[in-house]
Amino acid sequence: MSSTRGASRPRPGRALLLTLTGLVLLTGYGAAACRSRPAADFGSPPASPSGPSGLSGSSGAPASRVAVRDGKPATKAAPDAPARLRVPALGLDATVDPVGVDPATGEFAVPPSVDRVGWYRYGPGLTARTGSIVIAGHVDSAEEGEGAFFRLGSLKAGDTITLTGPGERTFRVVARERYRKSAIPLDKYFARDGPARLTLITCGGPFDERTRHYRDNVVITAVPSP
Amino acid sequence: MTILKRAAATGAVALIALGTAGSGPAFAGARANSQVTVVHGIPGQPVDVYVNGEKTIPGFQPGKVAGPLSLPAGQYDIALTKPGDAVGNALLTVDDAEVPGGANLSLVAHLTGDGKPALTPFANDTGKLAAGKARLIVRHTAAAPAVDVRAGGQPVFEDLTNPKEAKADVDAGTVSADVVLAGTQTRVLGPADLDLREGTATIVYAVGSADDETLDLVTQSITGLHSAPGGVPSGDGGQADRGVSLPWYGVGGAGILLTLLGLLRLRAARR
Repeated sequence: MSSTRGASRPRPGRALLLTLTGLVLLTGYGAAACRSRPAADFGSPPASPSGPSGLSGSSGAPASRVAVRDGKPATKAAPDAPARLRVPALGLDATVDPVGVDPATGEFAVPPSVDRVGWYRYGPGLTARTGSIVIAGHVDSAEEGEGAFFRLGSLKAGDTITLTGPGERTFRVVARERYRKSAIPLDKYFARDGPARLTLITCGGPFDERTRHYRDNVVITAVPSP
Repeated sequence: MTILKRAAATGAVALIALGTAGSGPAFAGARANSQVTVVHGIPGQPVDVYVNGEKTIPGFQPGKVAGPLSLPAGQYDIALTKPGDAVGNALLTVDDAEVPGGANLSLVAHLTGDGKPALTPFANDTGKLAAGKARLIVRHTAAAPAVDVRAGGQPVFEDLTNPKEAKADVDAGTVSADVVLAGTQTRVLGPADLDLREGTATIVYAVGSADDETLDLVTQSITGLHSAPGGVPSGDGGQADRGVSLPWYGVGGAGILLTLLGLLRLRAARR
């Protein structure tokens, strides 16, 4: 007694079609998944010396050569603000605003306009010989769409970045890193000691529609070109 | 905090063994050197500064700031002489000054409230500042009565007396500061523009003598107290999320189902 009768017996042609359709869909999914994978991180920023900065004095200096300074109140430091940021690889030429900290949140006050980027004016400036010059910009915004740093994460090692202000200084990319915002070592990126470098920061990674925040920060480190 | 008082050759001497400033780990406090900055706030009298009998700051002029010296924890004999004079003939001495480990101190040569020379140590607050903030520390080390310190005309520190300090963490920026007799509008110093730099402690000493009309300001700064901002919020659009969206997961799921179904039927058809 056969349980499979002619009428219900699957036809090989149809089954093959089903299988092929399934495979096509799977391929589409695979392609989408691959495309969504961010480019891998590379490099690492130059390290700052460990330990507290600025507190060490003339240790080891001969006692007869103690530094003596005038006690007159310090005059205002010369402005050292970059005015424009150019990244040829991204076709980017953006205005740089000097910014500080949002008093309400204690966070970096990224310029609200997405086509401008913000230089952290408390840290090293354009001509700094030590420390990290930090510039942050929007990847995008709900109101204005794509921001100046929309494609920041696609920069490659060796790409050039030029800052102009009172002078001009060119950097080349040495590292691209991605961190969850809860785990990003900001102290390292906002260090005022160690070798001079340029740090560009924006948002990236998965977007939470409910909180309207990205999970990650994307960080590009560039060092002065010789 | 222990207080040592030792007989000194000349001058009024207040000697305080200071506890370790800040909140460093205990072992660092025991082992690390202390940073000692020397401030000269006695008008009209250049000095040589001796530490443990060794001439350390020769020809130190009034209004100047020297150091920091990096000193291992221990006791130090400090003497101030007229330039070129023998250490035995000092103007002012402090013996067995206690320097703890890992501290940041300022040693100030100044006049007391009634005009006598003195050497007073202060512990400097080198605690980290929040991003965007600066620390203002004001020290009354002048032969003058109690004063109020004002910023932009508003009193910020009131009734400060020699040799006390007052401090506050404020927004970084430039303030116009002056000093008035406590509770009055009688200005005795300033106004002076103070550039309170972010991540920096600016220490302002009122020095000199009101009677001799030699009141002045001496400043010292300690950098490196900055902190990074709390975060870098730089996107709220969601367009840069290249993640696999829900419809694509649906496509993938359907693909798996169809493939399995097709394979099962193929197998069944072969029987």
